[in-house]
Amino acid sequence: MSGFVDLYTASGTILHRMDPRVKIVSVVFLSLLAIIITELVYLLILAAALAGLIFIGRASLSKTLIALRYVLRVMVLIIILWPFFDPHGTPVLFEFGLIKITLPGILGGLETAVRVFCLAVVWYILMFTTSQGDLVRALVKMGLRFDFGLSLSISLRFLPTFTATVESIKDAQRARGMELDKGSLKKRAMNYVSVLVPTIIMALKTADTLSLALQSRAYGARADRTYLRELWMRPVDYLALCISIAIFAIPATAKYIFSVPL
Amino acid sequence: MAIVGSNACGKTTLAKNLNGLLRPTAGTVVVAGRAAEDQTVAQLSRVVGYAFQNPDHQLFCATVDEEVRFGPVNLGYPEDQIRAKVEHAIEAMSLQSVRKLSPHTLRLSNRRRVSIASVIAMDPQVIVLDEPTTGLDAGETKVLMENVLRLNREGRTIVLITHDMRIVAEYASRVLVMTNGRIVLDSDPRGAFADLDVLRNCGLVPPPVTLLAHRLAKLGIPKDVLSSQELVLRIVLEKGGAR
Repeated sequence: MSGFVDLYTASGTILHRMDPRVKIVSVVFLSLLAIIITELVYLLILAAALAGLIFIGRASLSKTLIALRYVLRVMVLIIILWPFFDPHGTPVLFEFGLIKITLPGILGGLETAVRVFCLAVVWYILMFTTSQGDLVRALVKMGLRFDFGLSLSISLRFLPTFTATVESIKDAQRARGMELDKGSLKKRAMNYVSVLVPTIIMALKTADTLSLALQSRAYGARADRTYLRELWMRPVDYLALCISIAIFAIPATAKYIFSVPL
Repeated sequence: MAIVGSNACGKTTLAKNLNGLLRPTAGTVVVAGRAAEDQTVAQLSRVVGYAFQNPDHQLFCATVDEEVRFGPVNLGYPEDQIRAKVEHAIEAMSLQSVRKLSPHTLRLSNRRRVSIASVIAMDPQVIVLDEPTTGLDAGETKVLMENVLRLNREGRTIVLITHDMRIVAEYASRVLVMTNGRIVLDSDPRGAFADLDVLRNCGLVPPPVTLLAHRLAKLGIPKDVLSSQELVLRIVLEKGGAR
């Protein structure tokens, strides 16, 4: 569970050191790029380039596969099912009653699968090269209210803690002879009440304690909050920003203004 | 029986193996003569009851009575037996005066007694108490431990996980000292508190009165003193003997 929540892998690669604001902007532009490109060849080039970025960020293969396992499954589903529901164009490869499979249909499935892959990988790169703290800091610097940023980072921070509490509560009730997954539907629902009630009470207590802890550390003492860690744009960050804008802007201009088929 | 040792030395892990909440990666656990591996947690909880450290992890009913009933009802006892077991558990933990109240409104010492009572009500032969006295004051600790002692005299085995060496000295008849996941000492409290080096390696300090006895060893006082009365008696005897 905690591995799913926090994909971040500490490291010192160029992607890790990049300003998180630049990373967020770049990720948005690369996502848009993946959406506007419709030619399979160019999508494959984009996918290869993104895979290269994973390599530059030195993500471990096993962690990447775990993080992308659902995406990979969805891709397989898209490739298999797409041709059945999109039988347009010629040549027709196979026809039997209502089922008709065409070459453009198969290519359409592949194209969508690669697009989904690109979108997932772009966001995965952001998540594994940026700590949750940096991410929230960047969002706050980009105009998110600090209260919301803090709530966001606190909820992310408490997910693993909360999971551990729920496990402990389940253990405590199992030790009292409760069998969570046994009995009729009504019995099982009642069983979960014995987990739910302590969980809610613990959550409320935690929130209460947390708010006291925040207040005792002078949270909200002044409106113009100062920051211990400032984010500074280095020349290389500006360069990266320009490159990512160009990577999006050039194909977009070519496609929509000069009607180049992309 | 008391299990002592520094934090994260494996006390709770050992205890959770007793009722199947944790399963060993190697070796077998035998509970009351039967291998634990082919029994479910529910089956094992008839033999080994486990009261968790934090009572708030298990309390969820509207009244103390219902809370105590939950265990025996789960185990499927007939109604008259359930009633008898609940009565016994409420009495054993002296909860008569609060039995109609909501467990969440009670103070910590009472919430803990409710959680222990809910385990007693399942009528197990062995009761594991995970740090039952943490956060209680001296008076609450004494009352709780006297209740626990009574259960012990009924013939139940009490497994007590604790950091409080005074409780160990006063109540335990057997002490397991653990460090780094291993049992390094298995003896009565006198034997356990005699070797200061072993205890220090496990992050433990015996009760002050035992430490004092160690300091007085030169005067001929035995090192295995467990209570102040005993120390006074020893000193008087020693002085009488010198004359």
